[in-house]
Amino acid sequence: MGGIGKYRSMARTSIEIWFTYRTTFVLNMIGSIFYVFAMFYLWQTIFLGSPGALAGFTWPEMKAYLLVSFVLSSLMPWFAEWNMSMDLKEGRIAIDLARPIDFQASRFASAVGPVPFEFGSAVAIGAVVAFVFGGIALPVDGAHAAVFLVSAVLATLIKFGLVYCVSMTAFWTTGTDGITVGRVAVQNLFSGALIPLVFFPDWLRALAAVLPFQGMVSTPALAYLGKMDAPTTALMLGVQAFWAIGLILLGRLAWRGAQRVVTINGG
Amino acid sequence: MPLIEARGLTKKFRQAVKEPGLVGSLRHFFTRKYRDKLAVDHIDFSVEAGESVAYLGPNGAGKSTTIKMLTGILVPTSGSLIVDGLVPHEKRQQNARNIGVVFGQRTQLWWDIPVVESFNLARDMYEIPVKRYRDNLAQFTEILGLAEFMNLPAAKISLGQRMRADLCMALLHDPKILYLDEPTIGLDIAVKDSIRGFVRSRVEERGTTVILTTHDLGDIEDICKRIVIIDNGRIIHDGDLAALKDTYARDRVIHFQLARPPESTALICAGLPTCETTTDGLRLSVRFDRFKFAAGEIAAAVMPHVEVVDFRIDEPEVEDLIRKVYLGQLNLSTPESAGAPETGELAGA
Amino acid sequence: MAASVASGVRSARRLVYLYFRCLGQQMKAILAYEADFVVLLFSAALVQLTGLLFIWTIFQRIPNINGWTFWQVVMMYALVFVTEGVGSLFFEGTWRLSNLVYTGQFDQMLVRPLSPIVQVLASAVGFNGLGNLVTGFVLIGISITNVPVPWTPGRLLMLAILIASAATIRVAINLGSAATAFWISAPWSMIPMFVHQLGEFAKYPITIYAVAIQAMVVIAIPFAFVSFFPTAWVFGVDAWSLPGLLTPLVAIYTMIMAVAIFRVGLRRYESSGH
Repeated sequence: MGGIGKYRSMARTSIEIWFTYRTTFVLNMIGSIFYVFAMFYLWQTIFLGSPGALAGFTWPEMKAYLLVSFVLSSLMPWFAEWNMSMDLKEGRIAIDLARPIDFQASRFASAVGPVPFEFGSAVAIGAVVAFVFGGIALPVDGAHAAVFLVSAVLATLIKFGLVYCVSMTAFWTTGTDGITVGRVAVQNLFSGALIPLVFFPDWLRALAAVLPFQGMVSTPALAYLGKMDAPTTALMLGVQAFWAIGLILLGRLAWRGAQRVVTINGG
Repeated sequence: MPLIEARGLTKKFRQAVKEPGLVGSLRHFFTRKYRDKLAVDHIDFSVEAGESVAYLGPNGAGKSTTIKMLTGILVPTSGSLIVDGLVPHEKRQQNARNIGVVFGQRTQLWWDIPVVESFNLARDMYEIPVKRYRDNLAQFTEILGLAEFMNLPAAKISLGQRMRADLCMALLHDPKILYLDEPTIGLDIAVKDSIRGFVRSRVEERGTTVILTTHDLGDIEDICKRIVIIDNGRIIHDGDLAALKDTYARDRVIHFQLARPPESTALICAGLPTCETTTDGLRLSVRFDRFKFAAGEIAAAVMPHVEVVDFRIDEPEVEDLIRKVYLGQLNLSTPESAGAPETGELAGA
Repeated sequence: MAASVASGVRSARRLVYLYFRCLGQQMKAILAYEADFVVLLFSAALVQLTGLLFIWTIFQRIPNINGWTFWQVVMMYALVFVTEGVGSLFFEGTWRLSNLVYTGQFDQMLVRPLSPIVQVLASAVGFNGLGNLVTGFVLIGISITNVPVPWTPGRLLMLAILIASAATIRVAINLGSAATAFWISAPWSMIPMFVHQLGEFAKYPITIYAVAIQAMVVIAIPFAFVSFFPTAWVFGVDAWSLPGLLTPLVAIYTMIMAVAIFRVGLRRYESSGH
């Protein structure tokens, strides 16, 4: 069984583990419905109170934006990070070091395994919300939908890269739980998950532009809505790719450094 | 007036019966079917202050259910239970002041804080007068050897250390009753001895009543005078341990090691009526009733006929006795008078 | 009569004293362990600040939400976090109950001469609560300087009572939903987590929601009294001020209900033998 085989089985194992936690996952997802509903009511009130569009968004477009944001946020949730940090804490790293696998690739396989289920659940919930609130905007045409999918895949890669790098810090600190909470908060704001970046005042937009987070929600969502012209789309996809590759490489560097730490300190 | 009195004590559990598989789950969702399990079946017993009672039974017999009712954690289905004038489950916190509990598998210590701080918390919770607390703590620390790990959190000490600390904590407030549930499980022999010795001294010197459930028969022999056996929710024996041994654990076995295999044992057997003699190569074993013969008599009867190189004596095992009871091979009737050999039946021993 | 009142007072004092004793020990233990609790503190603050930025950004575009001004919304938001901070810091134990029941460790608590509710509440400490408390109080402090009604000592006292009541309601909701552990055996608290997320609705004025949600958040699980109604009273919003004054009563009521649910659950636990 060469190359892909072992990663495929890791993904499968991860799905099995996820499945045993499925009740927790489902309850969590249903709980997140409250969040989505609150957001929808909030924005609905905002839009009803203002004539026409806000910052270039119509209400159907805003609804679509919120749901795309929700679905993307549901992929590779905190579970993946928690699992990684748990493994590190419990010293399972020593076992992994002895295995003939690429650590980062194996982590990716584990994280990516449950994604279809997470995606399915999120879309189901999104459909319910969309129905309650009277429908959302859909992609303009097939080309836009395709661009959206590409962007979504890149967004997931960026997310993984970031989560992986943050979990690497566990080698040098006593734990990642605290950092994760902070990361999620900052990420929520600067990825556009809470509010489209175009709403930000200039100085905040500039800050968001140089951070990797915008590729996680804003870019794919805007691609979905067709709000970027061709050159901008190409540029933003390029930025996404840049961050995806960059973070993954950074993660590999961190891992090499971590290996040194582990072998010196004995895990 | 007994300290603990149970009359017709019963506990019935309702278990939902669910068929396996998806169909079973669905059916269970709509119509529930229940099965009753009688864990404790109308038992009667009473314990006087200062007694030390071993409470035995095979797994699932109803031991821990009884203990839970005694400690007030579980509400009986029917029957009466009075502990020191209180109904335990109705006055749980008041009952708690009278008792100390050591669960072998779990600790009463707070997990993350130093052991001595757990003791201090216990002092506040049980409202132990300061002087008595200090005296007890000093005494227990010395006897149980707690000083070396007093300041470590419970999470960081070994099992043996934890059990000793648990025992200390259970007795700091001088409870009337001490419940021990598997107190020596997983411990090495030195620790077991110190724990058993300590508990025994509490019974003898302070008159603490001790209820012990255990599978370790060394515990029983060392600590308890009385033995209660429960099986399938019913008490099948309740009496003095020594009397039980005198009645049922009467056999000793001497194993002789010979220089040469014996040609025949006929002569030896003739000289030892009612004894069971077996040979195995260079070994000759004689099983005899210790009330009928002394070991010396047996030896005197054997040695003229064979050349004995070495010998060893096996004492009667309570363990064998209990095992037989659990397996249903030994049927005990209720309280015996000491040394009456013909009551009780040995079935297929 | 006087004797029973006196003994009632004495046992109440004993409960409070023992509660802080247990909690204090937990805090000492956690401080020894968690070196990154400083990070936790900052992270909690960060969460609130990004939320604040979110609200601020919205208000750059629109003058008010459904008639509610920026500082009113900030206050509601801050109240949600302050009460959560109190819950985490002093009453984190409610989140442990499910696990305690599942592993059978809860029995240990029943054998001690101390109310199991007090023991459960005091059994854990979440230091992220400190970050939430501090940041939340700062935000509240700034918000109340923007209140049109002049501040008198009486009003300040009422504010303190309202905040305390709001925290009580939070803790009561946690305790009540944690008590479901007595009916549903699971390794960790699923239902309490679920109920906790209902609190999302409390971050914004409830007037924006559909009636069904309003009913749920006002009557069924009164999150609205944690943030919305107290804020309405503080800012002198006539339409909603009066219910704001009811908050302390709601607090007492929810606490009584939570303790009752716990007691019923405990009785069930003791009868069914888990």
